[in-house]
Amino acid sequence: MRDVARDPAALERLRVQRSRLADRMRPPWWWWSGVAIVWALAFACPVGSRFLPQGVRIWPILVTGVAVACLLQWGLARATGVAVATPMLRYPSGRPAGIAMIVVSVAALVTETFLIDRGLLVAAIVVAALAVAAEVAGQRAQLQRIRHDLRAGGGPA
Amino acid sequence: MTAKPDPLIHPITRLSICGLLAAGADWVEFAALRDTAGISDSVLSKQSRVLEDAGYVEVRKGAVGRRPRTWFRLTAEGRQAVEGHLAWLAQLEEAVSASTRDVQARLLPGDRDQPRRVLPPLLGSS
Repeated sequence: MRDVARDPAALERLRVQRSRLADRMRPPWWWWSGVAIVWALAFACPVGSRFLPQGVRIWPILVTGVAVACLLQWGLARATGVAVATPMLRYPSGRPAGIAMIVVSVAALVTETFLIDRGLLVAAIVVAALAVAAEVAGQRAQLQRIRHDLRAGGGPA
Repeated sequence: MTAKPDPLIHPITRLSICGLLAAGADWVEFAALRDTAGISDSVLSKQSRVLEDAGYVEVRKGAVGRRPRTWFRLTAEGRQAVEGHLAWLAQLEEAVSASTRDVQARLLPGDRDQPRRVLPPLLGSS
């Protein structure tokens, strides 16, 4: 078997291989679409809770959102061959993006509720759409940080 | 973490497998590991078995339909050993590049005294 001592470029080779592994962490189009749908479901809750017909509950929508999110994580691991569990908690470099996503979601939900209370339904829908775009951008930033960690060999904490 | 060589990880194929698993992913699938390491199915099977027997790698087997899927990840013991070995390799690389710089610094272009300085030690004369 070949030995590292006879191959001085071993570490350089490992860097190239890690870079190849990081490049695999590029989600397919359906993942991005799914993420946008999940966030849209989440931000539709304030509007839905006021305007859904009587007898229709909001919690099945939330449960569906969580189920779709889990399916997306599973599908991403299948598609890329690389499973990264709970990126928000385990990847320190992706934490700022994760915290920003939480702040945006709380702020958007509060703003939506505030606007709906004042009868500004269109404005609430615009806020929800902007929040979905911001969350998808946050997710993109988080994945970028994970790719960077994989390249550098940083890894989760 | 202490920088120390690990003879089990030292062969280049196992170094590739362990280095990729230590990069930060939780689990890496067989095909992904094979393609990124640039090795064959049989080599990966054989080397991963060695690493699994040593307690460095954890293997999870499953299936999607009729297609078997195998996932790998480093154990805590394996991660510690890989990190120590990679640190040792980095030190080795640094030492090699430092000595190369030293030799290059001695061999300056346009230095007329160079043969007089460099040749005697090489020829064994003072």
